[in-house]
Amino acid sequence: MNATMVDPEKLLPLTPAVFHVLLALAGGERHGYAIMQDVAESTEGRIKMGPGTLYGTIKRLLEARLIEESNERPDPKLDDERRRYYRLTGVGEQVVKAEARRYAGIVEMARGKRLLGRPAKIAFTGI
Amino acid sequence: MSTPADPQALLRSQKIYERLLAAYPKSHRAEYGPAMAQLFRDQSRDAWREAQGWGITKLWLRVLPDLIKTSIVERLSTFNQRKTMIDKIAALFRPYQLPRHTFRAVFIGVFVLVFGASIATSFLMPEVYASTARLKVEPGEDSLFPDHSSASPAVTYDPYFIQTTFEIIEDQVVLGKAIETLNLNVEWGKKYNGGKTLKTSETMEWLKRRMNLKPVRNTQLIEITVYSEDKHEAARLANAIAQSYRNYRLNQLKQLSLNGIKILEDRWQQEETQIPKLQLEVGSLRQQCKIRFDASGPQSPEEQPYWDKKRALDNRLEFHKLLAGKIEAEKLDLMIPKTFPAEIIGRAEPGNQPARPNKPLNITLGAIAGILLASIAGALAAFIVFQLGKRMRKSPAPSAA
Repeated sequence: MNATMVDPEKLLPLTPAVFHVLLALAGGERHGYAIMQDVAESTEGRIKMGPGTLYGTIKRLLEARLIEESNERPDPKLDDERRRYYRLTGVGEQVVKAEARRYAGIVEMARGKRLLGRPAKIAFTGI
Repeated sequence: MSTPADPQALLRSQKIYERLLAAYPKSHRAEYGPAMAQLFRDQSRDAWREAQGWGITKLWLRVLPDLIKTSIVERLSTFNQRKTMIDKIAALFRPYQLPRHTFRAVFIGVFVLVFGASIATSFLMPEVYASTARLKVEPGEDSLFPDHSSASPAVTYDPYFIQTTFEIIEDQVVLGKAIETLNLNVEWGKKYNGGKTLKTSETMEWLKRRMNLKPVRNTQLIEITVYSEDKHEAARLANAIAQSYRNYRLNQLKQLSLNGIKILEDRWQQEETQIPKLQLEVGSLRQQCKIRFDASGPQSPEEQPYWDKKRALDNRLEFHKLLAGKIEAEKLDLMIPKTFPAEIIGRAEPGNQPARPNKPLNITLGAIAGILLASIAGALAAFIVFQLGKRMRKSPAPSAA
């Protein structure tokens, strides 16, 4: 697939695994274990990806050029330099944003039908 | 990366996962195999830190279905990447040979997965030891003062006796005391509840789950078996529960005897006050009727009331004497009981071999289940492939375009 020619909207809806991996990478480049931990933390442990699902998803995202392998490595003293890091491509970023907007639209629709409450307002006391 | 500090179970688990990666297509394995193995190692270490052997078992229960599902997906994906439909058909449908090959491939795949899972589970499950204490239990007496001279037994048959005994053992009166004696609320709180003392009801639930009560057929024996990862703890718990039940039954018997003695003493006291009054009445009648001390029976009808009264007095004196004797006998029985309602026949000893997992049994069952499931899956796959092949041979060959 030539990613530069792809309309992000046409790739939607994403599967939950793909969306979670893209969301994890939206926070910066990560290796497989960090992606898995990020997904587990953000879903409060409800989604724990196995190695097969995670690398199958990564493979498909690489093929679709929504993510790419990063050649930059953090300080080798801080991390295992054999780990492979991944980051979002421009198209990947557009796709994850489009999917997030789609979810936001669905949430709004659910609120309109009173299936969900309004989020609590945050009181700003000022500085 | 494994460190020398990693326990053997962890290393074995990682090696098994690395072997199972063979389920993926070669190209996928070459590209992502090392990264997947690395991720599994990281997850294994987290799982081990969280709950040791049980954590690894839970991880495998999550990873194994993931591995089966994704390896099939990857294999199908590789298959779909073949250039043309002809290539695909050529790869799949080789007449006559194909069902046999399919059966063999599916059989081996399913057998390796099922058998591997049973081996992994057997070796990764935490070892649990069992210790058994044996108790001889006597049914309770159905009356306070059984007639030992009578030929008929005072103790009647109770078909629910063993079941009632089990219910009592699992109740607060017995388990609660055992928990108190071993300070289990604090000990298990430290061990399983992050140092926070457990409530007795919580500890009782935990203990009940680790305990098994069983009657020994055609005897009055019951077995109290307790399971624990620590063999000494298992023995300690079984003995404490047996001792607690024995104490409960002894206290119950003691209480029953004390109540009986109290009733006897009250009656003895009543007699003690009534007898002097009766003696006065008899003395007065004797004087009225002018009866001599050595007279042995009524000489005239006027003397009859005296002799009736005297007989009543003699009976009461006899009864009074009997009561005093009975009280003494009961007090003696209380100090030295004739029978024990519950006796510990065999104390629990720490086991040498773990009771669970039964590795040879698990592996044998795994092999049998593996052969059965693999045969069914292989036969099904071969049948489907054979039917598809037949259809393909009947229909005209699709064009490559």
